Order: sequence, then C-alpha cells, then structure tokens
Amino acid sequence: MNREKIMSVKTCLGFISFLIALLMPHIFGVSQYLLTVLIIMLVFILYSSAWNLLALSGQGSLGHAAFFGIGGYTSAIVVKSLGLPPLATILAGGIFAAFIGVLIGLTCVRLKEWFLAMVTFGFAVLAHTITLELPGLTGGWDGLPVQKVIPVTVHNYIMYEYYLVLITTVIVLFVIYQIMNSKVGLAFEAIRENELEANVMGINVMKYKLTAFAVSAFFSGIAGALEIHHFGYITPEVYGIDISFWPIIYCVSGGLCTIEGPILGTIIITLLDESLKNFGWTYERYIMIGLILILIVRFLPKGFVSVPEKIKAYLRS
Amino acid sequence: MDISIFIQILVWGLYAGCIYILLAIGLNLIFGVMKVVNFAHGELLMIGAYVTFWLYSSSGINPYLVVPISTFIMAILGILIERFGFRPIRGTGKLNEIFLSLGLIYLLQNSAALLWTTNSRTIHSPYSDILVPLGTIKLPLDYIIIIIATILFLIAFQLFMKKTTIGRAMRATSQNREAAALMGINVERIDMLSFALGSALAAVAGSLWLISGQMVNPYVGSLPAIKAFAVIIIGGLGSIPGAIIAGLILGIAENVVPVIIQSLVAVFNVEMSFTAWKDTIAFLILIIVLILRPTGLFGKKGE
Repeated sequence: MNREKIMSVKTCLGFISFLIALLMPHIFGVSQYLLTVLIIMLVFILYSSAWNLLALSGQGSLGHAAFFGIGGYTSAIVVKSLGLPPLATILAGGIFAAFIGVLIGLTCVRLKEWFLAMVTFGFAVLAHTITLELPGLTGGWDGLPVQKVIPVTVHNYIMYEYYLVLITTVIVLFVIYQIMNSKVGLAFEAIRENELEANVMGINVMKYKLTAFAVSAFFSGIAGALEIHHFGYITPEVYGIDISFWPIIYCVSGGLCTIEGPILGTIIITLLDESLKNFGWTYERYIMIGLILILIVRFLPKGFVSVPEKIKAYLRS
Repeated sequence: MDISIFIQILVWGLYAGCIYILLAIGLNLIFGVMKVVNFAHGELLMIGAYVTFWLYSSSGINPYLVVPISTFIMAILGILIERFGFRPIRGTGKLNEIFLSLGLIYLLQNSAALLWTTNSRTIHSPYSDILVPLGTIKLPLDYIIIIIATILFLIAFQLFMKKTTIGRAMRATSQNREAAALMGINVERIDMLSFALGSALAAVAGSLWLISGQMVNPYVGSLPAIKAFAVIIIGGLGSIPGAIIAGLILGIAENVVPVIIQSLVAVFNVEMSFTAWKDTIAFLILIIVLILRPTGLFGKKGE
C-alpha cells in the first residue's frame, strides 16, 4: 500500500515535470540559448540513464564515450553515404553501438570493478585511435559535417528539435523504467548483489550481463547520434574522457541504480554548471563539480534522491 | 633496418619503462596495503611535475635538486588525500572508490589548470645538450641519469620494504590486514604512509619525465596512469618484481612494436602510420591478458 502510494507520487512528479518540459518553449519563448541547454541536458539524461542501466547490473563502465561516439559516427556516415534522413540513421547509430557493445561485453563479462573500469576505458581510447586511423571514412582529426535533424531553414527549427529530443528521451526513459521493473531488471540487481548466488538461483549471468551491455550501448549510441545531429558536426572529441565521465558524475550525484537519479543528477549538475559558466568561471566550476562528487560519495552515497528521506529521518529524530 | 636505430629505440623504451615502473610501484603499494586502486594516480604525477616546474622556475637551481622537495610536498598531499578521501569511505564498496578517484581527477586537473594555466610547460635541463657516446650510438645524458636514478630508487625501495620496521609492517598489512592489526601494527598509519610513499613515487616519476624534456599540461596524467595500471595487471597486483619486468616490457613494446609493424607493412607497400597506435598497445596487452586471465598474469586466483 505504502509502496504504491510512493510510486504514484513519483509518477505524478514525473508527469508534472514532463508537462513543464513540454511547455518550456511557451513559457520562456523560443530562446536559442535556453533550448540548446535543454537539448543537451535531455541528451545527457538519456545517456546517463543508459549508463545507469549498466551500473544496475553491477558493471561500472569508464568508457561509455566509445558507444556515444560510435553511435554518432555511424549515424553521420550513414547519412553521408546513403543519404537517408537523420531520423532513420539515429536508430542505425544505436544498433551499431549495441553490436559493438556486445563485442566489448564479451571481453568484459568475467571482469569486475577496476579491471572492468580499466578495460572499458581502454576501449574508448581504442575507438578513438581506430577513428583517427580511418580518415577516409571518418574525416580523421577534422571530423565530419553532419546534417541537422531539422534543417536550419525551418522557422523555429530549434523548437522542433527540442520536442524531438524530448519525446525520444521520454520514450527511452519509459523503456528503461519497464526494463528495471521487469524480470530482467530483477536479474540485473541479483547479479549486482551477488553474482555467485544469482548463478545458483538459475540466472544466466553471462546472458544478462551481455544484455545489459547491449541495451546500455544501444541507448548511448542513440544519445550520441542525437547530440551530433544537434551540433551539426562530429569530431573525435566525442571519445573524450569527459564524455565518459559525465554520466558517472550525473548518476552518482543523482542516485545510482534508480530511474529518477540520472534525471535529477543531470538537471542539478547542468544547472549548476551553466550558472557558474555565466559567472565567467571555467576551471573553478570543474573543481566545484569534482568536490561535489567527492562530498556526495562521502556524505550522501545514495545521491540527491535520498535527500527527502534524510530530511524526514532528521525531523523524526 | 639499422641496428643502431633499433638500440636507440630500445633505450627510449627503457627510459619510458622507468617512468611506468615508478608510477606502477606506487600504485601497487597503495593497492597492496589499502586494496584501493587510485585512478587519480596519474594526476599525482602531473601535480608532482608542476610542483617541480614551479620550484625550478622560481628558484632557478638545477632541476634535479628540486625533485626531493617536490617529492616531499607530494607526500604531504598524498597524506591529505588518504585522510580526507579514501579513509572515510573504506569498506563502502569498490565503485565508491572509483567515483571518489573521478572526483579527485576533476579536482586536481582543474586546480592545476587554474594555478598554472593549460599551456604546456617544459624545463630546460642543464644536461639536455650533452650526448654520451656508447659505441656507435649517442644517448642523451638525461636518459642515462633517469635510468640510473630509477635503478637506485628501486634498490632503496626494496631495502626499505625488506629491512625497515615500517616496510615490514607494510608488507604484513598487505598480506593480512586483520592479522597485522592484531599483531599491534597501526594499520591506519600504514595506510597513510603507503599513500604518502605512493604519491612521492608518482612525483618522482612526473619530475623526471618533465626534466628529461617532456611537456606537462594538466591533462598529461591519465595516459601514464592507465599504462601503470596495465603494468601492474600484467605483472600481478601486489608484486613489485612483476611490476618492474612488466614496466620494462611495456616501455620497450610501445616503442619497438610500431616500428617493427611499420617495417613489416612496408614490405607489402602499404602506407599506414602506426605511431598513433603507441598509446593503444598498453590497452591491447591489457585486454588480451584480462581475457585470458581475469585476475592478471601473475595474479592470485579468486582476488
């Protein structure tokens, strides 16, 4: 009963935030700056939720930029060579990223903790090197110009782009929510808690770990493709360490292994980042974010989502 | 292929290997004692190099004489990181340690960028023009100093671990923490000291790297750190001799393999540059080793 009540409160909150997000361009007007920030924020909500799904199965990746970048490059190359509209190729980016995700997952299923972290990090560097080594296909250091999802010539194109990204993100979040609450999600959690016991209980650990890799890589690839079709170009910088680390920062600060954690974390950290940016701070804001991460790991290990509980517990005592 | 060029590449690899060994031994010591992998270890190398740069450019004395001072400063920074970072989250899970390291990476990189800007800095070593003739080849004096200094450091480190009380306590703690604590060893102090020693070794590596003519900017730390990690995985977690051998192998492989592949490929008239693969070789070795043995080449089973 109580659990259902909490769920309904959460659903309501989710619905309200979706409505606010829908009305955003009408409340504040079609501002290029605001909508750009929101689009990037949504892309990263999608991307961090994908990372979170992998973390749910107990696998912390330090190299998700590999999937993000592969998704982006695949989509860009398919658009360029086949002339398909970007809307269709975004899916292709996700599918190819998922394929690579399975391959990487196959090498990673036996690894844990920092071994896994290092190897995934290594794959991001490897993807970067391979991209640079194929300049005919990828444009090398210069990257590729990419067609935008909505042509710039369309009036208020940024608003349509915003709605497109918003709807994609909401669909993906819904799918991730369904996965987390399904048998598959339970299996992921069982594997995270105790791999051996999960195996004893008849869960095919390898299959589920690979599934986690594939699904997570698929959504990361979609996020990458969405981002580059928003920016209109792609360079090897999409494999940067930053791109691998941001989803981790968002998830950890928001709340690991919850559906709302990555959303909350991304919104709060992005808002903080943007407002500090307007202060003219560059390195100071990254120092702040590093400090926040350390403080959260130390004092708020369940992230921002656990703040209401903490306050409640404090008031009760 | 000309044999003297080959030897020169070999020496270059030996020199790179020395830096990896210094870094890897520090990382290995911290892992052995605390069972923590500090992903921000490369950032300690970078800060160490910057401190040396800063002391050198403000005093103007021989950069090699500055190294002990910056090593000491970095040891203190290491103590602070251990005391306020890793100690409070001990036992709350491996993922938390990884996240904490990420926070440290952001903190240290951007503090360096704030203090010293992101411009690449170099030090002009007083011996940079001197080449020592060895048979038909000539080697820079700085490389020889670094190789000899590393050997001396390793001997001193080994003696410290084997002969002194603190060194023995460190080995005892890394073998069995509870038993060591029961034997009256203050394991938390040992944690602190090993973190300080690890940071000091990273500072030595960074300073020597800088003095020998390499550039330092706030982002140079991550690659050597990951290579050091590859070294300890190949050599076995907690094994110092393993780290030395693996460090040398990696340093040499990184420099020799691209040249060999390039000369092999040239036979088939394929134009391709393999120098970009230099940084990837460590990962390829790492990935292959971990696929075959998920606990490292010489690692214990069930670790």
